[in-house]
Amino acid sequence: MKQRKVWLIQFGEIKDFFRRLFVVILFVVSFLSIFLTRVDSLIVSAVDKVIIDATGPIMQVIEFPARAIHRVYTYFYDISHIYADNQQLRDENKQMMILQNKVRTLEVENQLLSRLLNYIPPAEATFVSAQIIAESGDNFTHLLLVYIGDNIVEKGQVVVGEESVIGRVDTVGNKYAKIILITDINSKIPVVVERTRARGILSGNNTAMPQLIFTRSNADIQAGDLIVTSGVGGIFPAGLPIGFVNTVHNDGTVDVEPIADISRLEYVRIVDYGLSHNENFLNEFTESNTNAQ
Amino acid sequence: MRSKRQEQIFAFLRHRLPLFSSLLLMLLFFMPINSVQINFFRPAIGVICVYYWRLNRPSLFGWLSAFCIGFIIDIYSSSPLGINTLLMLGLVGAVGWLCRYFQTSSFSVRWLIFSLAALAFTLSKWLLLMLYFTCWLPISEIMVGYFSTVMFYPLIAAFNAWLAHKFLPPENINEQ
Repeated sequence: MKQRKVWLIQFGEIKDFFRRLFVVILFVVSFLSIFLTRVDSLIVSAVDKVIIDATGPIMQVIEFPARAIHRVYTYFYDISHIYADNQQLRDENKQMMILQNKVRTLEVENQLLSRLLNYIPPAEATFVSAQIIAESGDNFTHLLLVYIGDNIVEKGQVVVGEESVIGRVDTVGNKYAKIILITDINSKIPVVVERTRARGILSGNNTAMPQLIFTRSNADIQAGDLIVTSGVGGIFPAGLPIGFVNTVHNDGTVDVEPIADISRLEYVRIVDYGLSHNENFLNEFTESNTNAQ
Repeated sequence: MRSKRQEQIFAFLRHRLPLFSSLLLMLLFFMPINSVQINFFRPAIGVICVYYWRLNRPSLFGWLSAFCIGFIIDIYSSSPLGINTLLMLGLVGAVGWLCRYFQTSSFSVRWLIFSLAALAFTLSKWLLLMLYFTCWLPISEIMVGYFSTVMFYPLIAAFNAWLAHKFLPPENINEQ
């Protein structure tokens, strides 16, 4: 009887030891995951893909009623603004008609000049539409989860809203993809100020307004200037609109207001310009700029 | 009359109810709000659930459950994999220690303790992310999220308490 009690105590101690060991293992796994993410391990992206594909269908079910409510709200909002919108569209239409004639003339001129120079145009961009089914769950990150179905999408491809860049593809699963928005801290896009051609990097900072960094101290930047992609780095093609300069601070930092109105988006377009394999180049470019600074 | 197998399945589900309900609530709060501004008000449901279940039903919500919740948050955010799991494990450890003293205290005391625990969690995450990305992260938006989390605590706690009373066997604690 006495011996049995001793055995029980020993068994309890062993159980307690393994419980503690398990907790230590969980902490070690967490630290290891952070390290592996830092070195961009394939294991991490593989795990990411598996979990996204496993939880994606649940998100689609949850998203459905939320989307229905949003549609009803948008319907009544649009009706209440229909007169003002109509007036604005009429004005825009007049301007567009003038621009259309100019574009036609320029297109013909461009074709003639291209023929003279034996210019071989790049392959045309293709795109797929993807439905937004989830957003990041906290205010430390800005990303979207989209349903891509059976479409082929690659990491690094450009994601466009109605009229401007909203982010890039980060992780691709079998049916779902994770998109990093331009406001996220992980987002770094080489851009140029359209008016003055001043270059910089549009860096997300987890606020609604990303910042323009690595610009020259004497660069001519004013509020209202259009920011477009510069094409440097090879990920994004040149000339895609991103946002307008909102504020130029005294210390040289520039806040940029994105053009895309994410509140209106249900679908996004993932555009393949055939450039997504150049992502490493962008990282090197950003790092070399940081060092130069 | 349930068979033994069915009883086993029900018992398994009952024991995993805190984890499954927390995961479902979290996924619910990942719904697209379609606004960057409103996104800042998104409460950290994971933190609320981990705190609530660990304080009220520590036997049903252990280290592995917290790890799973942290893991899902990591996957559904662009923060490095491991940050949220690490912080959730820290939170479980801290709440496990706290529940010795506050398990039978009133709701308002628990809410106050939660506000402090959530503040520690938020600031730790902010610091870890700044160290990871080696850059300054604005604190104002993060604090908006923190206050939203604290405000949402009674609602989520009431839901969890309802779940516990409805589906879980009673435990000799002051659950609310």
